[in-house]
Amino acid sequence: MNLLIAVPFVVPLLGAAATLLLRRAPRAQQVASAVTLAVVIADSTLLLAATADGTVVASQAGGWAAPLGITLVVDPLAALLLLVSSVVLLIVLLYAIGQDISGLSRAVPQVFHPIYLVLTAGVCLSFLSGDLFNLFVGFEIMLTASYALITQAPTRARVRASMIYTVVGLTSSIFFLTGIALVYALTGTVNLADVAEKLGAAPAGLRMVLALLFLVVFGIKAAIVPMHFWLPDSYPVAITRISAIFAALLTKVAVYAIIRTQTLLFGRDDVSTVMMWIAIATMVIGILGALVQDDINRIMSFALVSHIGFMVFGLALNSVAGIAGVLVYLVHHIVVQATLFLVNGLIRQYVGHTSLRSIRGLTVVSPLLAIFFFLPALSLAGLPPMSGFVAKVALFQAGVQAGGWLIYLGLTAGVLTSLFTLMAIFRVWARAFWGTPLPDMLEARAELRRGPDFVGRRLMAATTGTMVGVGLLVAAAAGPLTDIAFTAARDLLDGRAYIEAVLPEGAP
Amino acid sequence: MLLPFLLALHAVTAVLLPWLVRVAGPRAFLLACLPPAATVVWVLSRAPEIVAGRPATSSIAWVPALGIDLDFRVDALALAMVLLVSGVGAVIFGYCARYFHTGERGIGRLAAVLVLFAGAMLGVVSTDNLFALFVFWELTSITSFLLIGNDDRKEQARRAATQALITTAGFGLPMLVGFILLGEIGGSYRISELVAAPPTASPWLPVALVLILAGAFAKSAQVPLHYWLPGAMVAPTPVSAYLHAAAMVKGGVYLIARLAPGFADVDPWRALVLTFGLATMLIGGWRALRQDDLKLLLAYGTVSQLGFLTLLAGAGTQVAAVAAIGALLAHGFFKSALFLTVGVIDHQAGTRSIGALSGLGRRMPVLAAAAALAAASMAGVPPMLGFVVKEAALEAFLPGHAAGMPPGAAAAVLTGVLLASILTFAYSARFVWGAFADKAAVSERRFPHPSAAFVAAPVSLAAVSLATGALAFLLDPLAQSYAAPFDAGGQPYHLALWHGPTPALGLSALVIAVGVLLFYRREGVARIQRAMPRWPDAETGYHLFVHATYAFALGVTRRLQSGSLPVYLGVILAMLLALPGARLVVVLVTGDVAAPGAGEGFRVWNSPLEGVVALLIVVTAVATVREHRRFPALILISAMGFGIAGLFALYGAPDLALTLVLVETLTTVILVFVLRRLPATFGTRPNGWGKRLTVLLCAATGTFIAVSLWLMTAARTDAPVSLGYAPRAHEAGGDNLVNLILADFRALDTFGEVVVLATAAIAVASLVLLNRRARVVEESGADPLEEEGAAGSDGEGDPAAGNGLAAGAGGTGADSGPAGEGDRS
Repeated sequence: MNLLIAVPFVVPLLGAAATLLLRRAPRAQQVASAVTLAVVIADSTLLLAATADGTVVASQAGGWAAPLGITLVVDPLAALLLLVSSVVLLIVLLYAIGQDISGLSRAVPQVFHPIYLVLTAGVCLSFLSGDLFNLFVGFEIMLTASYALITQAPTRARVRASMIYTVVGLTSSIFFLTGIALVYALTGTVNLADVAEKLGAAPAGLRMVLALLFLVVFGIKAAIVPMHFWLPDSYPVAITRISAIFAALLTKVAVYAIIRTQTLLFGRDDVSTVMMWIAIATMVIGILGALVQDDINRIMSFALVSHIGFMVFGLALNSVAGIAGVLVYLVHHIVVQATLFLVNGLIRQYVGHTSLRSIRGLTVVSPLLAIFFFLPALSLAGLPPMSGFVAKVALFQAGVQAGGWLIYLGLTAGVLTSLFTLMAIFRVWARAFWGTPLPDMLEARAELRRGPDFVGRRLMAATTGTMVGVGLLVAAAAGPLTDIAFTAARDLLDGRAYIEAVLPEGAP
Repeated sequence: MLLPFLLALHAVTAVLLPWLVRVAGPRAFLLACLPPAATVVWVLSRAPEIVAGRPATSSIAWVPALGIDLDFRVDALALAMVLLVSGVGAVIFGYCARYFHTGERGIGRLAAVLVLFAGAMLGVVSTDNLFALFVFWELTSITSFLLIGNDDRKEQARRAATQALITTAGFGLPMLVGFILLGEIGGSYRISELVAAPPTASPWLPVALVLILAGAFAKSAQVPLHYWLPGAMVAPTPVSAYLHAAAMVKGGVYLIARLAPGFADVDPWRALVLTFGLATMLIGGWRALRQDDLKLLLAYGTVSQLGFLTLLAGAGTQVAAVAAIGALLAHGFFKSALFLTVGVIDHQAGTRSIGALSGLGRRMPVLAAAAALAAASMAGVPPMLGFVVKEAALEAFLPGHAAGMPPGAAAAVLTGVLLASILTFAYSARFVWGAFADKAAVSERRFPHPSAAFVAAPVSLAAVSLATGALAFLLDPLAQSYAAPFDAGGQPYHLALWHGPTPALGLSALVIAVGVLLFYRREGVARIQRAMPRWPDAETGYHLFVHATYAFALGVTRRLQSGSLPVYLGVILAMLLALPGARLVVVLVTGDVAAPGAGEGFRVWNSPLEGVVALLIVVTAVATVREHRRFPALILISAMGFGIAGLFALYGAPDLALTLVLVETLTTVILVFVLRRLPATFGTRPNGWGKRLTVLLCAATGTFIAVSLWLMTAARTDAPVSLGYAPRAHEAGGDNLVNLILADFRALDTFGEVVVLATAAIAVASLVLLNRRARVVEESGADPLEEEGAAGSDGEGDPAAGNGLAAGAGGTGADSGPAGEGDRS
C-alpha cells in the first residue's frame, strides 16, 4: 500500500527524468510519457478500489512517524481526483502527441514532456499530501511546471499573459507560506491531522482568521471572484493542450485544497456565510463575463470561473450532501473543461483562431466537430442527460435540504447562472456552428485533408472524441460516482477516519 | 416492460438515420415510422389493463443517491399521451418521406433529431420520476432547438431557435428547483407517490408549485411566454406539425394534468391555471384571426388551444379532467392534420399566404374535405371529437358543476371559454376559406397535383378526428380512468356525442351561430383588429431582457476585467484585509484572545543590534517606494534583503542568513543585467492616489501578518514538533538538526523543492533557446496572423480593448485577436 501511495508522485518524476534524457528521440519520449501516465491511472484505480468504502490509508514517508516526518494520505476524495486527473492528463497528452506528429506545432520544444510530467507529479502530490508544508511543495511543483508551460511557444501575447499568471501565482504562494508559518506559530505542527487536533484547543477567533486566510490563498488559485481576473487573461492565450489541462486541473487542485483545509482543519469554524457570498459573486460575475466575449476560449475561461462558484456554493452548505455535490461537480467539470478546450483546439485547425467574428458554419465544415462540441456544451450548461445535470441536481438538492434565505439566494444565483451559461454556450453554437461557412474555412479543410499530417490529425480527433466519451461515461456512471462522493463527503465532515489513519495512537 | 427498449429503439434509429438518408434519400423516413408505430402497438396491447387501473411499470436505476432514476409508469393519462405522441409521430414520419426531396440540405440530421425527439417525448409522458421527466423534457427542448434551426443559414431561424430554447429551457430551471422542493417536501421523487399522498403542510409547497407551473407555462406557450411558438414556425412544416402542435407543446399541459389530481386544490394552483389559460385562449384566438400566413394562423390557434388545454387540465374537477383527456387527443389530431394540409399546399403551390391562394378547393377536393373536417373539429362542430370535448368543457364550468371554485370565478371562466370558442370558430372558418375558397381578387396558380400518399397523412388524421368524435364512448374509459381520483359527486361525466338537450348543447349552438356571424362579418372584424392599439408585445419583453442582460454583463465585465496586473494584486490584498484581516480586528476589539502585553516579559529587542537592522529595513522599504528610477530601487531592495539576512543571523540561524545573502546577491546581479535593457525610470508606476492606496494596502497587509504572528505565537497551544527531532537525531545518524530535517525527516519536501528548481532551470533554458530559434523563424517570414494577434493583445491604451469584449453588445471592440496557435508559424 505504501508503495501504491507513492507511485502517483514518484513515477511521473522518473518519467520526467527519462523523457528529459530522451529529448532527442521524440517517438521514444512520447511512448515514455504515455506509459508513465498509464501507470498512474492503473495505480489510481487500485487506490480508488481500496478506498471507495471510506477507508483512509496513510503512509509515512521515510518511516518517521507523524507528525515528525511527512505523511501521504489517500482517502476516497484523493483517490477519485487522482483517477480523474490522470485520465484527463493522459488524454490531453495523446492529443498533444497527435498535434506534434501532425507537424502543426513545430514551436513546441522537447521539454514539453518532462515539464508536463512534473506538473502531473505536482498535482498528484497535492492530492496525496497529508502535511501542510508538503502540500505547499506539491503546489509549487505544479505551479512552477505551469509557469514553464504557459510560456511555451511564446508570442508577445503569451509572455504578457504568463506575466500576469506567474505574478499572481507567486503572490498566492507567498500568502500560502505565510499561512503555514501562522499555523506553525499557533499549533507547533504542520501535519494536517495533527493540526486538526491541536487547533481544537486554539482560540476560536484566531482559528477563524486562519480559515479565512486559507480561503483567500486557495481562492486566488481557484479563481474565485474577485480574485479571478488573472484567469481569463492568461488561460485562453496558451496553446491548446496547456489551456486544456490548466482549465481542467489547476483551479480544481485549489478547490481540492479548499475542501481539505476547510473540512479537516477548520470544520469547527463556520465561514459558510462568507463562502456563500463568494459563491454568489463568483457564479454571477463569471458568467456575465462569458456572455460578452467574442473568443470561444475566453468564453470557456469565464464560464470556468463562474462554475467554480457552483463548487463554492456546495462547500458553503457545509453538509454531506453539499460536499458530495461539490465532488460530483469537480469530476464533471474537470472532464468537460478539458474536452471543450481540446475542441477549441480542433476549431483552430480550420481558422487559426477561436474568435466568433470569423467562424461560421462549422457543422458543415466538420459535422463530427459539431457533435464533439455540442455534447460537452450541453453538459457545461447543466442540461440533461449529461454529467453537468447530475452535478447541478446534487448541488441544488443539497441547497434545498439545507434551506435558509441566504442559501435560497445562492440557489437563485445558481439558476440565473445556469440560464446565462445556456445563453453563452448557444450563442457560440448559433454563431460559429450554424450559418454558411466562410470560404477560407472550406479551403483550410481541403488543405488539411490533402496534408501529409493525416495520422496526427486523426489522433487529435480521436483523443477529443475519447474525451467526449469520458464525459458521457461520467454521466452514465453517475450512480456509483455519487455513491463514492457521499462516502468521501461523510469522511471529510467526520474527519476522524483521516486523523486516526495518520496518528494511530493519537498525537504524541 | 418493453418501454425502455422502445426508447432505446428510437435512439438507435436516430443514430442510423443520417446514414440511411444518405443511401436511400427521404424514403428512409419510412423506417423512422418503425419505433413510434411499434410503441403504439405495444401500448394498445397493454391498454385494457392500463384502463382498468393497472399501470405498466418498470425502473432503471441511474443515480439512486439523488433520487434520479428512470422509473416508467404508463397509466391512463400516459396512455393517451403515448397514443398521441407515437401515433401522430408515425403518421408524420410517413408524410416526411414525401415532403422532403432527395439531396436537400441536412435531411439526415433532421430525420435523426426528429426521431430523437419522438423518443424524448415518449419519455416525458411515460416516466414516473420528476428528474427523469426533467431529463426528457429538456431533451425535447434541445431537439426542438435543433429542429427550429434546421435551416441554419437563415438568421431568422437561428434567432427563433435560440429564443425558443432560452424561453423553454430557461423556465425549465426554476421548474427543476420546483421539482427538488416538491421532492424534498414530499420525501419522494416518484410522481405517482407524490400525487397519491400530496404533502400539504409545508409552506414551501405553493412555491414549488408556482415554479413548476412557470416551466409548464413556458413549454406550453402560455401568455405571456407564448412568443416563441409563432417564431418557431420557421421550422419545416412537418416539424411544426409534430413538435409545435401535436407533441412538445403538450408537455406543459401534460405536466399540469399529471399533477392536478394531487395539487389542484393547493393555492394558488387553480387561480394561476385558470387565469393564464383563459388569457392565452383569448389572446391566441384574437391574434389567429388576423394572420395572413396559414401557418401562423394555425400557430396562434395552437396558442389559443393550449390555453384551453391548460385550463381543463389544471381545473381539477372530474368533468374538466374528462374533457382534458379528450381535448389533448382532439387537438393533437386536428391540429396536425391542419398543419400537414398547409404543408401540402406550401409544397405544391409554393405559398401559404391567404392573399395568394385561390381555387384550391376545386383542384384538391380530397385535401379540402379533410381540412374542412379537421377545422370542424377545431371549431367544435358535431360530430367531430372537438365538439364532444367542447361540450364537456362547457359542462365543466357551468354554474353548480364546478366544484371547488367560487361561482363568480366559474362564471367568468365560462364566459371566457365561450368567447374564445367563438373566436376559434371564426378563425377555423377563416382557415378553410383562406386555404381553399375561390377568391375573386386572387388569380389562380398552376401547380402539380400532390400524390395520394402525400395527402394520405392529413386525410387519415382528419378521419381519426371524425371517428373518435362519432365513437367518443370508446375514449370514455380512458378519460374515466384518469379522472377517477377527482370527486365527481356521485355523477361522473362521460364523453359522448349526445347528452340530450343540455345547457351545454345550447351554448354550443350559440358559439356556432355567433362564430358564423363573425366569419361573415370578417371585413368588419379586420377593421376592428386594425383599429385596436397594439398591446405591448411579450416578445419585446424577451428582447428587452436579453439586451439588458448583455448590456449589464458588458458594463460589469468592462469595469472589472481591467487587464492591469497592479489592480489584480491590489484586489487580492484587499480581499486579504477584508476577510482574515477584518476578523483579526474583531478578535482584537472583542478581546477574545489575550493580547500578550508588557507584563509577561515583554522586550523591545534582545540586543540593540536588532533595532539597527530593523531601522535599516524600514528605511530602505520606504525609500524604495519613493524611488522613481529603476536602478536605485533595485539597490534599495537588495539592501533590505541583506537587512533581513542580518535578522536571521541575529536570531541564530547562520545557515539561513548565508543562503539568503547568496540569493540576494545573485538576484541583484541578474537584475542589473536585465535593467540594462529597460528604461531608467518606471513608466507604469501609479502616482497620486493610486500610489497612496497601494502603499496603504501593502502596509496594512504587512501589519495584519505581523499582528497575526504576534498573537498566534503567544496563543500556541502545544510544544512545537521540532522539539521531537533532537531526541531522534542519533537515530537519523547526524548532529546538525537543520541538515537532518532537510535531508531526512522532511526529505520529501527538499526533494520537491529540488524538482521545482530543476523545472525552473529547464523552463528558463528552453525559453531562452527557443526564443533564439523562434526569432530566426520570425525573421524568415512568420505567420502574419500570429503577429497580428500578438500585437492586438498588446494594446495597453483602452483596458477593455485588450480583453476581447464583444463589440456587438455595445461599443468598444476588441482586437485582442487571439494569438494564433504558435504552432502555425
